Amino acid sequence: MKLPVIIRNCLTLSLLLAVSTVTSTAHADVVVIVSAKSHITRLTVAQTAKIFLGKASSFPDDGDALPIDQAEGSAIRDEFYSKVVRKNSSQLSAYWAKVIFTGDGRPPEILESNVAVRKAVANNPNSIGYIDKSAVDRSVRVILVP
Amino acid sequence: MAIGYYFIALLGIFACITNAEAVETDQPMVTFGGFGTLGVSHSGMRLGDYTLDSGIPKGPGLSEDWSTTNDSRIAGHLAAQFTPKVSAVLQVDSEYHTGNTYEPEVEFANVKYAFIPNAYIRVGRITLPTFLDSESRDVGYTYIWIHPPVELYRQLAITHSDGVDAMYRVEFGEVGHTIKAIIYGENTIERSTSKSISKDMWGIFDTIEYGPTTTHIGYQERLASSENLQTGVTGAWVRNSDLSVGVNYDPGNWFAMSEWIQRKSTTKISAMYVSAGYRIKKFTPYLTYSQNSPGSFLPGFPPPTANSIRLANRAQSTVSLGVRWDFMRNTDFKLQYDQVKLSDNSNGFLANVPANVILYGERFHVISAVFDFVF
Repeated sequence: MKLPVIIRNCLTLSLLLAVSTVTSTAHADVVVIVSAKSHITRLTVAQTAKIFLGKASSFPDDGDALPIDQAEGSAIRDEFYSKVVRKNSSQLSAYWAKVIFTGDGRPPEILESNVAVRKAVANNPNSIGYIDKSAVDRSVRVILVP
Repeated sequence: MAIGYYFIALLGIFACITNAEAVETDQPMVTFGGFGTLGVSHSGMRLGDYTLDSGIPKGPGLSEDWSTTNDSRIAGHLAAQFTPKVSAVLQVDSEYHTGNTYEPEVEFANVKYAFIPNAYIRVGRITLPTFLDSESRDVGYTYIWIHPPVELYRQLAITHSDGVDAMYRVEFGEVGHTIKAIIYGENTIERSTSKSISKDMWGIFDTIEYGPTTTHIGYQERLASSENLQTGVTGAWVRNSDLSVGVNYDPGNWFAMSEWIQRKSTTKISAMYVSAGYRIKKFTPYLTYSQNSPGSFLPGFPPPTANSIRLANRAQSTVSLGVRWDFMRNTDFKLQYDQVKLSDNSNGFLANVPANVILYGERFHVISAVFDFVF
């Protein structure tokens, strides 16, 4: 049976939308971490958002804050930004495009896995990252469960 | 201005040589990126061209049925972080402009010195932050519309110039302020028959962020004149002052924003828009109303000529309905329908209207579609 082109396109579109809905519900349990050597014990959602958007370059007590991001398109990244910054991945790309192309700054460094972020954060008392709860060990401290 | 660029280049070399401080992160020192828009538009008004600003010589309507002149562009952006404190950017932009060419222009070329992470000074070519999106108005991917509302953005007298700006970011409790001050050198914009000249320009701008609310307030002044390219005569210098205010409320699933400007020179003109949209997964439908007032002549100047009365009286309003579709990473597709109404005593901002054609009070539609991308 041959469907008219417009109906086929509509079906493809609905299928794409359905798939995107399923993938976005497969979420992780994100926690925000600093090194166990850091003296930071907690941060608010707003303070964390400012650090990851480059609007604050230090912790509230004035120590330098060095955010570490996870890979674009990863479930953990999407969950972090929807819970903490209230932006989806397109809004976040648009935000960084504006910052970069006006010469105002550049996005945080990206590391590719929970383990890589945990190791980098553990080794630098100025770093701040987010990982899945299951990847937390004694080398890092959880300072926010958004 | 060549001297300015040699100065920037020298600063860059100096920064390289004196790179004593190690860069804190593992990020690359030099990054290249860019952005672009492929756009097409059609106007129902066939007696004039619908153009976004006076630097675009032709558009949809009289000259072309479907036109790519309004929204199509491509740009490359080179950024270098020499040390944590010293960085530089160069942005070259190709879009349709005066002379009927896509000849690339340098939009940004500056060296930045950040004294502390929350304060910097930049020297070189910088853009003017009159509106919430005026510095990124060419990067379609960064905003919701096909292009920023025409009635307001046509009031942006100068987009970029050579000069110095300084930024300071400070927080009072939950309220963040980003304060910018600029001083520009002389700026000229060539049109087909005249040249606009600005000098002694300065401005101060504050962007206030509190939760999901962003407020932007700006004030700028300059001395402006115009040179007739046929006669070579330069007119009187007139002090121009612009006051602009914008508010954006964006709690997540929806947003509403509005901006307003009042410009004073020999006339007083105001313009504004209100816009709102709702995000439904990858789709964001939006509605915008924008308008500009006719200019009222201020006392203390010689009586206006017929041409200055015509230029002051270009009021129009637009209702726009559109949708942005974020169908792929770093790429969007937008569709927009505009209903434009010209004021009862002008041809609005229509360009290339033949002499003696009167379109006062006319209504017409414009349909536009664009693909925006960043890389």
